[in-house]
Amino acid sequence: MASKAFGIVTSTPRRVNVHGLQDYRPAGAFTFAGKFRVIDFPVSNFSNSGIKNIQVYLNKHPKALTDHLGTGRSYNLNSKRDRLQLFYCNHHMENEVYNTDVSDYLDNLADIKALPQEYVIIAPCYMVYKQDFAALLDEHILSGTDITMLYHRVNNARDHFLNCRVITMDQDQMVTSLEVNRGNRQNQCVFMDTYVMKKELFISLVERAAAYSSTYSLAQMLAVVIKTEEYEIRGAQHKGFFASIDDLKSYYEANMSLLDPKQMRDLFNDDWWIHTRTTDSNPARIYDGADVKGSMIANGCHVEGTLQNSILGRAVQIGKGAVVKNSIVLDHAVIGPDVVLENQIVDKYAKITKTKELIATPEKPGYVHRADKL
Amino acid sequence: MKQGGMLAMILAGGRGSRLHALTDKVAKPAVSYGGKYRIVDFPLSNCANSGIDIVGVLTQYESVLLNSYVAAGSRWGLDSDDSGVFVLTPREKADSGLDVYRGTADAISQNIDFIDQYNPDYLLVLSGDHIYKMNYDKMLQAHKEQGANATIAVRPVPMKEASRFGIMNTNEDGDIVEFEEKPANPKSNLASMGIYIFTWKDLRKLLIADMKNPDSNHDFGKNIIPTMLAENKKLIAYRFEGYWKDVGTIDSLWEANMDLLDKKNELDLSDSSWRIYSEDSSALPAYIGPEAEIDRIYVTQGAVIMGAAKNSVLSTGSIILEGATVTDSVLMPDTKIEEGATVTRAIIASGVKIGKGAVVGSADSEEILLVSKNVKGVE
Repeated sequence: MASKAFGIVTSTPRRVNVHGLQDYRPAGAFTFAGKFRVIDFPVSNFSNSGIKNIQVYLNKHPKALTDHLGTGRSYNLNSKRDRLQLFYCNHHMENEVYNTDVSDYLDNLADIKALPQEYVIIAPCYMVYKQDFAALLDEHILSGTDITMLYHRVNNARDHFLNCRVITMDQDQMVTSLEVNRGNRQNQCVFMDTYVMKKELFISLVERAAAYSSTYSLAQMLAVVIKTEEYEIRGAQHKGFFASIDDLKSYYEANMSLLDPKQMRDLFNDDWWIHTRTTDSNPARIYDGADVKGSMIANGCHVEGTLQNSILGRAVQIGKGAVVKNSIVLDHAVIGPDVVLENQIVDKYAKITKTKELIATPEKPGYVHRADKL
Repeated sequence: MKQGGMLAMILAGGRGSRLHALTDKVAKPAVSYGGKYRIVDFPLSNCANSGIDIVGVLTQYESVLLNSYVAAGSRWGLDSDDSGVFVLTPREKADSGLDVYRGTADAISQNIDFIDQYNPDYLLVLSGDHIYKMNYDKMLQAHKEQGANATIAVRPVPMKEASRFGIMNTNEDGDIVEFEEKPANPKSNLASMGIYIFTWKDLRKLLIADMKNPDSNHDFGKNIIPTMLAENKKLIAYRFEGYWKDVGTIDSLWEANMDLLDKKNELDLSDSSWRIYSEDSSALPAYIGPEAEIDRIYVTQGAVIMGAAKNSVLSTGSIILEGATVTDSVLMPDTKIEEGATVTRAIIASGVKIGKGAVVGSADSEEILLVSKNVKGVE
């Protein structure tokens, strides 16, 4: 049965700033768990929920995502009724402050209005979680409220999720405030930038936000209407794996947390496949003398050295005598013989052969630029 | 299909009974190989990489899985408007009733109507159970340049083994003058690889005559090639030097898997200019646990190793639990080796579970053990 909702995957918001990685690609295109991209999560969530009309908004560096998403075939968006639209919005590149999700939607309002679905579900491009949106939509309709906001309870908000917003609710789960996490409390309900509402309401909020301020985002508009109590806005709790990838440390921690088999199984299981574009790489080869423990290895890798508690993207090479610990090495990077890496994020195509030691701390992981030769 | 093009037909009908229980449920071309591949991925990927748009796959034995697998031509990029992979099973025809394919040539004869739709100039006939990488377009160039009626791919085998193969005897120009099936005293060491290019209009005539011949076995090696030689047609041998393996037995299937562990293996599946396409699952990258002991493995995404793995090939969804040891073995997809179990010199068939503490296979055994049923644990 065709869904009553269409899906939106947002462009990278201003407050997301992942050092280095983001110089080359938008947040949705970050590699996650060795072979996935962050955007595979929202798009798979939509597709698995039977929501097959999906709009993806892009601002900077669109190439990485247009290549990756294509026509959506990797996500089972194969039938003639399915549609994955990519909207590239770059009208305010010269002044970041005007690059808001609201400006993205305004640019494409005709396309939004043309969709036949009654509801819209909006999901961020930079958060990793699994969610059955069909169930969330049913729950929203049943509640009779105007807007449903998805949130996740955390107990480490003092020094995590600092680029996120948090909400408060009354005893009936109705949202009473939405504001930036100021790190003043450990226990918070982090807003997952995910909402469900009728398309008509969505369009009116977008238009109102634009009239209110040229720099307003949809979330800021929402904060206003929560204060004025014009609408019934309900919080829906999300359970399971959740990560917001908004700076280098959160990128590092979200990836590393998957090396815990319990967390890994929580995010990836057979009932809810996360789809991605295949590259047809051959299986990984681990040679004699290699020592591999507690690690995740994507296809196409060659490992001759020591690997501990690390994640390798596709076709990574780890030379003889190299020691890679607590690190994330992205696709096609080469770690030469006898090189020692600890707590590093090595971007794609980097080649480390001459520098023999790169050591950082988990609190402040190191970063090696794309295609750097060290 | 492009004007003057070549259409490929893959003979995938064989049961492959020497692979025993592995082919009880699936045809030989659909048997798993190298962690993430099926045997038929090789000829299909070779076709796609050689620029062949239309591929017919001829199947008849246990073909449901094979049919559903090859029908998704998108895996090999063969699903545009003018390309496709077509599964051709024996069909009931108005004039002749339902016949199974009576031989390799008959399988093509029964599909002349299919081939005629595309009006190809050349027909490539392949078998669906060999592991190799080959550019068929280069072979076609040789066929055209020499104005041959048929070109047969051959590879040199050691002279002392030549009597196990179909041997092509050639003159100094490389023209085939004689074909001998398993000769007792071989005159040459050029073994047929079962890969043929025919000029279609020549072959078409021969096939129609062959269909009506009650004494024929309807086989390329036994009937069509000898007839062409008798009629003085131009048959040339096309030499192929790369990796090639017939995986017709459990031992040879195991060996072909073990070849992948070799650092300098000739097959080189990591060559991005000639990829072998397959079904790529959405599984996570391979996970190797904190206590795992790993030495020389070929491992694909979706595998989980908590125990020990040595000198082995591990497929998608294969799991080795804590304290289990897998040595010199092939774990096919979705196998589970439970805590403390030991697997040595074995192929564990898809979906099979080896229970806690069970011991299968042995380092001293000459033959490779095929385990196709669950093995109970030892309490």
